[in-house]
Amino acid sequence: MPEMIACFKWVIDEAYIRRGPEGELDLSSVNYKISEYDRNAIEEAVRLREAHGGSVIPVTVAAPEAAKGVKDALSRGGDRAFFIADEAFHDLEPSQTAAVLAEVIRSRIPHDLILCGEGSGDLYAQQVGPRLAEHLEIPCISFVQKLSIEQGRLIAERKVEEGLEVVAAPLPALVTVLPDINVPRIPGVKDTLAAAKKPFVTVKRDELSGKYEAHLATLLVRATQMERQCERFGTQPEDVARFLESLRKKGAIGQKGG
Amino acid sequence: MAGVWIFSERYEQLLELLNAGRRLARSMGTKLSAMSQLDPEKAATLFSHGADAVLVLPPLSENPSLDAFIPVIVAEVRKEDPDVFLLSATLRGRELAARIAARLNTGLCGNCIALEIDRDDGALRMERLVYGGAGLQAVTCSSRPAMASIPPGTFEPAPADGEGKGVVRTLPAPPPSAVQIIERKTKTSRGTDIAEARVVIGVGRGFEKEEDLHLAGELAEALGGEIGCTRPISAELHWLPEEVCIGLSGLQVKPDLYVGLGISGQIQHATGIRSSKWICAVNKDENAPIFAVADFGIVGDLYDVIPKLIAALKN
Ligand SMILES: Cc1cc2nc3c(=O)[nH]c(=O)nc-3n(C[C@H](O)[C@H](O)[C@H](O)COP(=O)(O)OP(=O)(O)OC[C@H]3O[C@@H](n4cnc5c(N)ncnc54)[C@H](O)[C@@H]3O)c2cc1C
Ligand SMILES: Nc1ncnc2c1ncn2[C@@H]1O[C@H](COP(=O)(O)O)[C@@H](O)[C@H]1O
Repeated sequence: MPEMIACFKWVIDEAYIRRGPEGELDLSSVNYKISEYDRNAIEEAVRLREAHGGSVIPVTVAAPEAAKGVKDALSRGGDRAFFIADEAFHDLEPSQTAAVLAEVIRSRIPHDLILCGEGSGDLYAQQVGPRLAEHLEIPCISFVQKLSIEQGRLIAERKVEEGLEVVAAPLPALVTVLPDINVPRIPGVKDTLAAAKKPFVTVKRDELSGKYEAHLATLLVRATQMERQCERFGTQPEDVARFLESLRKKGAIGQKGG
Repeated sequence: MAGVWIFSERYEQLLELLNAGRRLARSMGTKLSAMSQLDPEKAATLFSHGADAVLVLPPLSENPSLDAFIPVIVAEVRKEDPDVFLLSATLRGRELAARIAARLNTGLCGNCIALEIDRDDGALRMERLVYGGAGLQAVTCSSRPAMASIPPGTFEPAPADGEGKGVVRTLPAPPPSAVQIIERKTKTSRGTDIAEARVVIGVGRGFEKEEDLHLAGELAEALGGEIGCTRPISAELHWLPEEVCIGLSGLQVKPDLYVGLGISGQIQHATGIRSSKWICAVNKDENAPIFAVADFGIVGDLYDVIPKLIAALKN
């Protein structure tokens, strides 16, 4: 019965990000969420548990505020969770996150399969999964859109430039999943209530032995500009004609259509 | 030996990286080495495109999973100690880059869209998008080598203009990967190039069913454009091929005119159309974020509006 770890990140919901007056990112009124594709990772682990038994363990490295995310992950079907939390874990780069995850997973969490999202909603670095697999010295299969366990082996369909590859790997292994792999369930009230009773372990920075130094230094972060005209038109034939006329005036379309 | 290294398993992307790498190598006053999986004869053509040295990974007959080469590449990097190592961010390349960076214990700027050597301190400055494309982050790397993975199409291919001579060195074959390929399903590419199209029509989930896409097709025809789409349309619904998905995880387009139909305009898509000269949108929700990034928007039902647009264009 497979022990499955689903790595998830508690990220800023990008829909709330605004551009500040100086071109800076305005994060003053943002909400947080479980990174989009990590919901697919959790869902896939739950789906495999339904087929093979075992357990699903959501794990995150985050600042202490992310406790809400741990509850959320448990309400999506996790059995118990690991919350690796410290003030110092606010802005880790992927190499640090992977190293922290590796230390905790190696020393404390039995695992046959580790599932990550294809990329996180904020950094979209697409690194933490493959780096983690290297630290743990286990096979890594990225961009997986179909997954099964057959006779103790992992069978995965991964996306590559030319199409698909069906691959097999021994367990334990790590996969990163694409959003096409499943449709994550939306937790109901019952799930939320059940999650409140599920156990989770908090791991603090001083329980870890690694140094976890950054390799990258951030020189700047700024909002990407998009200044547009933002003119609106209705749907009456004369509105549509005016719309096309505006495009013609700008030279966006020729005198006769394209 | 130092220098700038590039790697891709694909010829086209090698040429793009040669272009990016050439510039860096020049401003650093160092050499450019290309590493690839090509056969040695094809690999030798890389000299005329700007490579100073070429390293070839031997073909793997048994189990050709590319990740088998990680130990070989890592050993070579440790031995030669390049300053900079660029990989093409193909799907395989992104995984490879992250795993190599982990083994080398160095930093990696994933999906890097611009890079340059700082004139003052000589550091490599690398840029990437964050928050779905809402932000731009610039980083430098404090460990060696500085690594970046670069999305295909970010740079033009390097032209052939050098003298075209050098030594091709073949690296040792590694033991097979633990990941065994048991089947390959290749897709047939449609061959449309929306990255270069002058007019792009974007299709979103506002379309109710696949059959309805003919409306987008007719509008594209009337405007002389190509069809692209949002990620759900290609990845979840499979109505259109992956190659025409526009956005953070797809293509960046730069047409004169982009028309988004039934597209909400969330940042991950909007970021892919940012370089369009003019952006139009048809969406029935007046609060859809696409209107904030569009020049001209029609608030209405696409099933009503598109036929009207086509009729007006035909008149
Ligand atoms: C890490 C990450 C990377 C991503 N990368 C990409 C990417 O590269 N490209 C991409 O596109 N997405 C990407 N996404 C997904 C993105 O966040 C959005 O989910 C997606 O772009 C939404 O697609 P859509 O606009 O087609 O669908 P929806 O968001 O569902 O929008 C449909 C729109 O159609 C409108 N509509 C409905 N019916 C009608 C009608 N009859 N007439 C007119 N309008 C109608 C609705 O008002 C709505 O605004 C990514 C997400 C993440 C987390
Ligand atoms: N802080 C974190 N805690 C746990 N898992 C993470 C964290 N950051 C990233 N991951 C996992 O790694 C994947 C890729 O993240 P990234 O490399 O940031 O794109 C995510 O989809 C998660 O599955």
